[in-house]
Amino acid sequence: MSRTLAGRATSITAVALAATLVAACGGGGGDAGDGKIKLSIGIFSDFGYTDLIKEYQAAHPDIEVEQRTVKMEQHHTQLATQLAGGRGAADIVAIEEGNITQFRQSKDKFVNLADHGAKELEGQWAAWKWNQGTADGGDFVLGLGTDMGSLALCYRRDLFEAAGLPTDREAVGALWPTWDAYLEVADTFSRKTPNVKFVDTAQNVYKAILDQTEEGYFAKADDSFIGDKNDKVEQAFTLAASLGEKKQTGALAPFSQDWNVALKQASFATTTCPAWALALIKAGAGDEAAGKWDVAAAPGGGGNWGGSFLAVPKQTEHPKEAYELAKWLTAPEQQKRIFKETGNLPSEPAAYKDPEVTATTNEYFNGAPVGRIFGDSAESLKPTYRGTKDSKVTPVFNNALSRVETGKQSTAEAFDQAVREARDAAK
Amino acid sequence: MSWRDKLGRLDTKYTPYLVIAPFFVVFGIFGLYPLLYTAWVSLHDWQLIDGDQGFTGLANYTALLSDGNFWNALGNTVSLFLLSTVPQLFAALGLATLLDRGLRGRAFWRAGVLLPNVISVAAVALVFAQLFGRDFGIVNALLGFVGIDPVDWRAETWASHLAISSMVMWRWTGYNALIYLAAMQSVPKDMYESAMLDGASRRRVFWSITVPSIRPTILFTVIVSTIGGMQLFVEPQLFDPGGTATGTGGDDRQFQTLVMYLYEKGFRLFDAGYSSAIAWVLFLVILVVAVVNFAVARRIASKG
Repeated sequence: MSRTLAGRATSITAVALAATLVAACGGGGGDAGDGKIKLSIGIFSDFGYTDLIKEYQAAHPDIEVEQRTVKMEQHHTQLATQLAGGRGAADIVAIEEGNITQFRQSKDKFVNLADHGAKELEGQWAAWKWNQGTADGGDFVLGLGTDMGSLALCYRRDLFEAAGLPTDREAVGALWPTWDAYLEVADTFSRKTPNVKFVDTAQNVYKAILDQTEEGYFAKADDSFIGDKNDKVEQAFTLAASLGEKKQTGALAPFSQDWNVALKQASFATTTCPAWALALIKAGAGDEAAGKWDVAAAPGGGGNWGGSFLAVPKQTEHPKEAYELAKWLTAPEQQKRIFKETGNLPSEPAAYKDPEVTATTNEYFNGAPVGRIFGDSAESLKPTYRGTKDSKVTPVFNNALSRVETGKQSTAEAFDQAVREARDAAK
Repeated sequence: MSWRDKLGRLDTKYTPYLVIAPFFVVFGIFGLYPLLYTAWVSLHDWQLIDGDQGFTGLANYTALLSDGNFWNALGNTVSLFLLSTVPQLFAALGLATLLDRGLRGRAFWRAGVLLPNVISVAAVALVFAQLFGRDFGIVNALLGFVGIDPVDWRAETWASHLAISSMVMWRWTGYNALIYLAAMQSVPKDMYESAMLDGASRRRVFWSITVPSIRPTILFTVIVSTIGGMQLFVEPQLFDPGGTATGTGGDDRQFQTLVMYLYEKGFRLFDAGYSSAIAWVLFLVILVVAVVNFAVARRIASKG
């Protein structure tokens, strides 16, 4: 009796051991038995791909596409670990503009799309957008551009009216040709309606101004850190911080839960809005605010904020098929459709200059001619150079602005600390 | 000895080892190996994506010791640990004593205290982030009723620590109470009876009989809470409005814990070598704190 029991225990142990080892060493995928090629595409937020993918599958019966969506910060962190581990990344991955410089450094983990003929596509994109996605002087094509940010300023009509300001979008745009003029409008607004904040957060104003300059934290020439010498950085910081010092900002973390609540409560009147932000504002403010928000030109002209690229990690088993899909998804025809679907602005002149796009209006934003506004902004924008360590330095300055907004530090103190920390981060 | 007897003896001698072996094999693969690998990585300049950039010896550790952000994170971790664990364990003891009495609907109350622990920590953090909202949070609204100015819970160090500790306490008090309750039930009833006959007060009975009797259990919870407290991550991370985008735990790192700092270095700044060094120092810190805790808790528990 005892022998059999022990014997059984031994064999169970052996099985458990074997199972553990298999589990530990196993993994790895493969294609489904039905002979279809499985492609996965890793994105964050809404890229407007759902319908397009269905259509692509219908046209390519041998291909099956799976969409994986996670939050933006998580998406890039996850991608980094997957590249490091050599497995787990999707066949096509989206990389945001602010992060692509970092991944460009590890380009050997990605397929050079030029090997599959991507160079022929160059003319499709605005030149700066194409360049952001390439390395080695254009020989290495890391990613194909999806949307771009472009810049406008969204404002609440009812709050402007209450403050005795004009509400017509042309007149509002004319109120603030420059950021200094924007500050004056803020003063007027706060005098008239002291209980409402003029702008959601100093961080976004700061980023908008910085995005209108040619260089930010890093030198275009050699990628060295110049955040401590570049007057533009300090000027943008001081200007944005002055709104915080005067308590004219809501001191909200951009696009956070609190930001959504504040939108719903109508507790701020303006916010910088790249094309993709319109969907976020609509989602946060809800249906009851329909027609209350409007879109005007941003102070200081165009600027770029955001926009992504589709890249193919080297670990994919189907580089060719992945490239074909990425190429199709980023073609002008599809970009136009995505714009209509989600409002993400095309990064290709053929698409954003298309009459269909320029004639697009947005009902929620009081029928604003968003196609024309963002298209114009795209035409006038001079893209900022993004350094390799941009994404490491940016949060340091955002935290500094937040300290001014919450009254913990003066603008000068906050800026000094930020520069010190940025130097460390850029080392 | 017959062949059969011999085999039987081998069986009783070695089978137990075989039976517990899976744990050690799994631990070896998922515990020991990563630990040693992390130690190896920490001795290198190691980038998350690109891997090994060269052996640097103890450079990451020496840098860590002169890194103000590290000491700040360590201070925050200890502060959060003390703020949440100490009151939590006392509250759990009290709660367990109450549950130990003959309550009506005993099972309901006992299961109820475990409920907060079953809810996903992400959900808890989301709810608490709303409660402690600056502009529209309920806590500030309640404070308003008694004439206290709204508190910016995320901006101030002490306020953020209080808010995060409350989250941790809410989750774990009931859990520890159940463990204490289980221990209390094994205390012989005749000890209580004789104490009652001698005219001891409830308080006296609690400190002189209950607490000393469940001493090993208290030690166990202290150790487990220490380890959990030193590894605090999800609650403060989700409390940060900047979220993983910054991972700094507030605009001036006012509630960045050690694990958050590890995460920031490793997964946002991609410095795997430095991050591994933090992981190892954290491991040693936990070891030291656990030993000190053990000694202190044993002394306290053996008093009376």
